[in-house]
Amino acid sequence: MIDWAAFLVVAVAALVSSAVVVSLYSLGLRLLTTAGRIPTVEPAEFTGALAVVTPARAAKNAKKARKASKANPLTAGQKRLAQYSGYLCFLLCGLIVLYGVYLIVPALHR
Amino acid sequence: MDFSLIVVLVIALALIFDFTNGFHDTANAMATPIATGAMKPKVAVGVAAVLNLVGAFLSTEVAKTVSGGIIKEGDGGIQITPEMIFAGLIGAIVWNLITWLRGLPSSSSHALFGGLIGATIIGVGSQAVAYDVVLAKVILPALIAPITVGIVAFLATRLAYAITRRDAGKPDGRGGFRYAQIFSSSLVALSHGTNDAQKTMGVITLTLIAGGYQAVGSGPQFWVVACCAFAIAIGTYTGGWRIILTMGRGLTEIKPAQGFAAETSTAATILASSHLGFALSTTQVASGSVIGSGLGRRGSTVRWGMAGQIALGWLLTLPASAIMGAFAAGLALLGPIGILLDVVIGTVVVFVLFQWSKRDRVSHDNLHDIDDAGHVVKIKKTPRKPSRKDRQKVSL
Repeated sequence: MIDWAAFLVVAVAALVSSAVVVSLYSLGLRLLTTAGRIPTVEPAEFTGALAVVTPARAAKNAKKARKASKANPLTAGQKRLAQYSGYLCFLLCGLIVLYGVYLIVPALHR
Repeated sequence: MDFSLIVVLVIALALIFDFTNGFHDTANAMATPIATGAMKPKVAVGVAAVLNLVGAFLSTEVAKTVSGGIIKEGDGGIQITPEMIFAGLIGAIVWNLITWLRGLPSSSSHALFGGLIGATIIGVGSQAVAYDVVLAKVILPALIAPITVGIVAFLATRLAYAITRRDAGKPDGRGGFRYAQIFSSSLVALSHGTNDAQKTMGVITLTLIAGGYQAVGSGPQFWVVACCAFAIAIGTYTGGWRIILTMGRGLTEIKPAQGFAAETSTAATILASSHLGFALSTTQVASGSVIGSGLGRRGSTVRWGMAGQIALGWLLTLPASAIMGAFAAGLALLGPIGILLDVVIGTVVVFVLFQWSKRDRVSHDNLHDIDDAGHVVKIKKTPRKPSRKDRQKVSL
């Protein structure tokens, strides 16, 4: 009656897919950072925001990121390689997510 | 064809339930991106509403399961009547509003099943409920899912931090997770639409079948799908800000990497389970993954007191809405007068709860000015409104 195997399948599928998606995106960020293109995305500002960064703080962060990318020991070629690998990671990650959407729409795979 | 009054009442109530469902579950998808500032609150609920609307049209698989599944138990000899569905819906709506008032992310599906089970026990008899189905499909997943997804989110958070780790002081680009959060939370909203809007469609279809307006075994009609899709989308857009606060801040302080990890785990679990035909509670999955990601980041703390309150809410959801459904069913057995009494009492209760909520209004424009802001990070509680400096402390 109780389908333990199904529980296990769901758990394993969820674990593997989220680990892959999160790893790919993190790897993408890591590669961009290595390439000296450090993404600085500050929280959106809104009334009663839960996370707030002042403009001064944001400018400081951006400056720090620029400074860090200048001190990059990699050659231009290596940087480019890291950058494009990063984009590849994002692309793969996006494709996996699209596959997830494909899975929930029965009209697409029948 | 013209519908009898009771069928019209059931459809109306089902749509109201759908509204409370959307409203209750906005937090599942959008609490984390709002908490990390990945999206502005109004934008976030707007996106969630649109995706719920789209999601509701994408699939009717779950609706078919509901209209032919747990609720239909005992269909062999004992027929569930529109009156019982009506009573069950009243129980579910009232419980949803009570938990919303307390800011508890409780499962709307459990409220629905609880209400229907309670109403069936009173109206038909306890032999009409398939307890083994309830155990296997409702209670066990409710125990296992939050823990499983918590572990998944914990590992995902660890991975995200491990991969992006750099020497102290060097910028690590983790703010970039904010972009990812927009997509991952949208995926959660979409999967919510494909799941939860279906439950109401199932109930309406079941009523139409029981009333003889629709062939047995047929899927939901288009107008039912459209009405449910809009009801849940409007509910989502209205936004249960109290629950968003609890999920976004009450459990743990969420950073972008954690938010992304939590949302991805939530979406993966919901998608995997609905693909394999499992009815999981979106809410329980989302709360479990927030706790898991809270445990995954070094130096962050999970407030177990709040987690305990939420778990208590989950335990109570099924029996409490069952009791309310049973009460409503008892009245409904009196005949038309009982139904009228149900409507009047239900309206009064909803009105009182709504008035109650006005005492401490929580909305998108005052998310910060809540008393319990102090226990997120240990800042001193100040009697005045927090200044910009104070707010900055919160973000650090």
